[in-house]
Amino acid sequence: MKEAVKAAEDEVFDIELNIDILKANQRLAEENRKLLQKYGIKAVDIMGAIGAGKTSLIEKLVEALKDKYRIAAFKGDLTTTIDAEQIARHGVEVVPINTGKECHLDANLVKKALKRLDLTKIDLLLIENVGNLICPAEFPLGSQKRIVVISVTEGPYMIVKHPFIFTDADVAVINKIDLAKAMQVDTRKLEKDVKTINPKAQVAFTNCRTGEGINKVIEALRL
Amino acid sequence: MHEFSVTSQIVDNILKEAEKHKAKKVVQVNLAIGKLTFLGIEQVRFAYKLLVKGTIAEKSRLVIKEKDGIVKCSKCGYEGDFKYEDNPIYHIPMFTLKCPKCDNTVDIIGGKECTIESIKLVTNEDEDEDK
Repeated sequence: MKEAVKAAEDEVFDIELNIDILKANQRLAEENRKLLQKYGIKAVDIMGAIGAGKTSLIEKLVEALKDKYRIAAFKGDLTTTIDAEQIARHGVEVVPINTGKECHLDANLVKKALKRLDLTKIDLLLIENVGNLICPAEFPLGSQKRIVVISVTEGPYMIVKHPFIFTDADVAVINKIDLAKAMQVDTRKLEKDVKTINPKAQVAFTNCRTGEGINKVIEALRL
Repeated sequence: MHEFSVTSQIVDNILKEAEKHKAKKVVQVNLAIGKLTFLGIEQVRFAYKLLVKGTIAEKSRLVIKEKDGIVKCSKCGYEGDFKYEDNPIYHIPMFTLKCPKCDNTVDIIGGKECTIESIKLVTNEDEDEDK
């Protein structure tokens, strides 16, 4: 037998890897989606800037829907449970998710939070993301619908300045419409901005203090 | 945006693979990053340089291929690049989800990946026998 061929010293090897780093979160999101589906739970991810009115929107949705659905909420925040307590006052189960320093929720945190709930006792899960118009867009959580809340107090260019988050949104909620005049913001222009980026997204105008327009959000979510 | 954490996962994966092959050095890493991710190429390079310091990948070449977004139209069957907004407000091309052919809404099917496609390693498995 001839001598075996051996790799020479300092031989360079090409190694195919094809490892997708972002897939890890996408895979977990898919697992969450399947788990929620198995229990027949509708899940909505609510994104938006700090102070846009995400928590107020959840409070109003809870009030309007709590007779129809058994609701639970996840409330993403850096370190406090202030908002979580505010939502819990409406008599629904709330799991606060403190991200510590992270600027968004990810599928893994949602997976952990799901373990805290008795999934047989829930029909609707409202997930409030960390206040941020950028990062949450990169991290799907496994919800069926994604809402982006923007408010007129953020100025007239909020949507054109942060277009990416709207590409994944099913519903855009334009909040604080009662202040539009004082802010000199044209809400129809905001709607047009959303539609230009994502013609599929539905737009609802709200005042989450009074509850005006909440029924439109519920309609858009088909709840 | 999350370049540092993503890049540190990239480096972990590379070093793990290199160890598996008893490599002496990592000479090249080929990455593919989709244009729809929130990863800045410049920041990935910066993080990479810091993270490989003191490892066998320290002097490796990082090759990054940018991948276009891909959309698919369920109405006319178009598959390919986005339609871009012709709006001077955007300093980088901003896409819309309208089909470039029929104006129907399209679905995103590609451009959200961050893949380590392949790496080049130097090994010297025969060192003992040859000398």
